[in-house]
Amino acid sequence: MKVITAYCNLRADECLVNGEVIARRDSSSEDSWFKQLYRQQELVYPKFYKMDALSQAGYLASELIKRANPGFPEAYADDEIAMVFANASSSAVTDRRFIQSYEHGGSPSPSLFVYTLPNIVLGEIAILNKWYGENLFAVLPKFTPGFYLDYNQILLASGSRALLGGWLEVTADSTDVFLFLVEEQESGMEFSSENLLHLSQAGSVAA
Amino acid sequence: MIYIGAEVIVSPLGDTAEDNWQALRENRSGIALIPDAGFNQEAIHLSRITGLNGPLRFQRLITQAMATLKERIDASILVSDRTIVLISSTKGALDDNLHDQFSETCVSAKEQFKLANLPLVISNACISGVLTVNVAGNMVEAGQYDHVIVVGCDVASDFVLYGFQSLFAVSDKPCAPFDAARNGITLGEGCGAVLVSATRSVFKNAPLELLTGASANDANHISGPSRTGEGLVRSVTRTMRKHGADAGEIDFICAHGTGTVFNDEMEAIAFDRLALSDKPLNSLKGYFGHTLGAAGVIETAVCMQMIRNGMMIRSMGYRDAGTSIPLNIMVENEPKKLRTILKTASGFGGGNASLMIRDL
Amino acid sequence: MDSLKEDLKKQIIEQLNLEDLSVEDIADDALLFNDQGLGLDSIDALELIVLLEKYHGIQLTNPEEGKEAFKSIDTMAAYIRKRNAA
Repeated sequence: MKVITAYCNLRADECLVNGEVIARRDSSSEDSWFKQLYRQQELVYPKFYKMDALSQAGYLASELIKRANPGFPEAYADDEIAMVFANASSSAVTDRRFIQSYEHGGSPSPSLFVYTLPNIVLGEIAILNKWYGENLFAVLPKFTPGFYLDYNQILLASGSRALLGGWLEVTADSTDVFLFLVEEQESGMEFSSENLLHLSQAGSVAA
Repeated sequence: MIYIGAEVIVSPLGDTAEDNWQALRENRSGIALIPDAGFNQEAIHLSRITGLNGPLRFQRLITQAMATLKERIDASILVSDRTIVLISSTKGALDDNLHDQFSETCVSAKEQFKLANLPLVISNACISGVLTVNVAGNMVEAGQYDHVIVVGCDVASDFVLYGFQSLFAVSDKPCAPFDAARNGITLGEGCGAVLVSATRSVFKNAPLELLTGASANDANHISGPSRTGEGLVRSVTRTMRKHGADAGEIDFICAHGTGTVFNDEMEAIAFDRLALSDKPLNSLKGYFGHTLGAAGVIETAVCMQMIRNGMMIRSMGYRDAGTSIPLNIMVENEPKKLRTILKTASGFGGGNASLMIRDL
Repeated sequence: MDSLKEDLKKQIIEQLNLEDLSVEDIADDALLFNDQGLGLDSIDALELIVLLEKYHGIQLTNPEEGKEAFKSIDTMAAYIRKRNAA
């Protein structure tokens, strides 16, 4: 059966892996929350600093999922792990920064421009892991478990054996990131709408 | 069998697939030199739709394309909950609402055409269009929907032009894909639409067959094409394998061909590795410019017109071989009965996608 | 200490978002585009062109010109001095 083997929730003030809080934001720090997390978790990937917030979020959550699930991704061929991500605001935060670079900063910034597409985060994760699998990025009004279920069914029928799903909404006001790994196993937490919805709210006050 | 038909193209060359086909047959291009368009007020070659100005350009183009498509299908399927509209786009209505680039358009389309489901937006840079047609076919194949309408659209913006200027990627002449003197892209705007369905009778004119394909990431660089063409090779290999097709069955390749030095070189390497370098091939960017999220849908629609009209269209802007491995690029239009066309796309984020269209 | 080189290091850190680096971490002769140096890539090279215009009023119309100039802090400083003297 298809089960959720690991998941990560990244919110404005805390980061959870498989439902357990692994880090909290230090509000007295001058560093961004994502940078704090990167350092706390002793991750080493200098490109991290150049990424926009969306890619940083996807990088952090995917690395934490890998760490929580030893053996993955080695269990798969390099094109068997598909990624299906979505959010509501596309790359709006970086789009705004890019506009500022040419309206107020003198000239358009090439390093900002290359992040003004929401699917770049998929590329960053693919590059880091050398994953040549299927990628899809959708822009949806809100987190919709059915979207992942439907598309996962399609991908698993066409050669992908694992799916890294993600909702990555990172705006000026809020951080709502939920990444989850779906694999075929004999038992575990079933990949279903109810479970996805439940896990997406793990640890939050609303849950 | 998955059918594809009722193709629509809205571009500087016309408002229907037939108008656009007429222009392509005559080798007319939508690209013109636009004064003061660039970041430093320099003149830039662009493929812009005359009269498409002011607010809500994205929404208006999508409405127009869907209204035209509606005339070509059994319109009752529009309101069915077994139908969904997929919108393929990169920057949507960025100029109208930076923070919410798609939802107003989706809500408006749902109301205007009384759709049962809210349209779903797919945004994967330059492969969005081909990828979305594949998603449509997959959804129909899996029985998730009976009918999927794909609308690919992007409108011209300072945002995107200045961005490509900052990458030194904008051509100083109309783009010349695969040509030795190519030096960048020409941006365009437009909208393409098709209906994908398992039911032949919903098409007013005969549909063609969609052989859905796979996507593959290059895992190389977020904005630079792979030097080996690895992702494109894997995408096309998987697409052909899925349908048990060998190279001999491909009659024509409608390539991505942006006109940048590195992209076109990457494609040439990939097609050589796929043993497809002798296939007749074109890029349509010399006619439409690079329409980003619309490109894959518009170009798929042109592939359908090429099959319907039995004509290979010349690759506008190409004169002298300019890739390390020569390709069989069309320098003149040529009548030919085409059974199977391979359509490919590659883009930022390392994405590659492909599909095949087959005559019935 | 050469203030132009010092300024360049600050500007590069700022413009390229090299937040994990400080001025002291960048040697004058470190190769900017080598993995043993700063490990910059092709987009960073374009960002350096923006930097030259923004802070030093120097326009580069062909990215190829930057290749030699952007080898290290030393070569960048020399290039800026040459262009400004011309």
